[in-house]
Amino acid sequence: MTVHYIEDVEFGSDLPAFIPDTSLAKGAQFAKLIGWDGPRFNDHEGARKEGLPGAMIPGVMSQGFLVAMIHHWAPSARIINIDTVFRAPVMADESHTISGVVTDIDPDAGTVEIDLTVANTKQETRVFGTATIGLKAGAD
Amino acid sequence: MILDLHTHSIKSDDGRAKVENYCQWIRARELPIDGIVLTEHRQFDFESDYSALAKANDLVILKASEVETEYGHVLVYGVTEALTQAFDFASINNVLEDVIQAANDHGAIAVPCHPGRPKVGMFAHTEALGMPQGVQIVEVYNGGSRDDEDQIALDGAAAQGYLGIGGSDSHIVSHVGRCATQFQDDIATMDDLVAALKAGNFEAITLKTR
Repeated sequence: MTVHYIEDVEFGSDLPAFIPDTSLAKGAQFAKLIGWDGPRFNDHEGARKEGLPGAMIPGVMSQGFLVAMIHHWAPSARIINIDTVFRAPVMADESHTISGVVTDIDPDAGTVEIDLTVANTKQETRVFGTATIGLKAGAD
Repeated sequence: MILDLHTHSIKSDDGRAKVENYCQWIRARELPIDGIVLTEHRQFDFESDYSALAKANDLVILKASEVETEYGHVLVYGVTEALTQAFDFASINNVLEDVIQAANDHGAIAVPCHPGRPKVGMFAHTEALGMPQGVQIVEVYNGGSRDDEDQIALDGAAAQGYLGIGGSDSHIVSHVGRCATQFQDDIATMDDLVAALKAGNFEAITLKTR
């Protein structure tokens, strides 16, 4: 289900879960494009030699996933702010799910706040944060 | 009565939840908790008054602190103005035994939280620093735990004879109530909470599967 207007949004409603492509290949491709090429993003063994548990997905790529998730749900939303707290690395080649829920609505300001959580298959939170989005009123 | 004993609001530097939204969420999702304790990082929030919000939502909202020591993070329940003068709440280099002693001297109680967590959990430091004196309770269920952190906490608590509490460690609205503590008695005030903790009339519970 997608929403287009702020009147469509209810407090506590869940955004459709989003499963991002966290493959090593995608992460490495993204890292190279933004100039972060290196073993921590493109080589599990090389990342382990750097003291990491394996190759990671770049943090800005995770933020991009959050934006993509929001736009899958609300294609016309204006993302005003995304604020993330990285609790643990999002590991490449491990499956993750992004969930989002509406936790505040300000009809006067035309804004909606969303809690966002990136969790692995063990339901461990790797990244959490909040987003503030702008949505038009239906009468506009 | 079930309380989430470990939550953070926007008063904490990494907290993103407004207290009114916690209340709204608990009621909208019909969470099986009766209230929350706000444990803001490295401070005690003297200025906020949540009594009207608590009454409007029929929830208990209490205030405590999460301070930092050489053994990791510690929840302090029963904070008073005098206790905040006894050690530096803002410091990241407090001495755990000093915090425990100061809490006891001021009618409060100190509880190491997420003790199974690397770096910021007590059991990560006991091999190097020894077992601290004076600990009676640790947080055995933490909503933000990963891997085997809760199991390390449970095993360590059992080995040392510590009692265990639970708290979500929520920093965003939707994470509240993931873990909590069930009390035999009603808790309406911080004095009630400290008394119940000191009496041992409680049990840690996890609600993560909901």
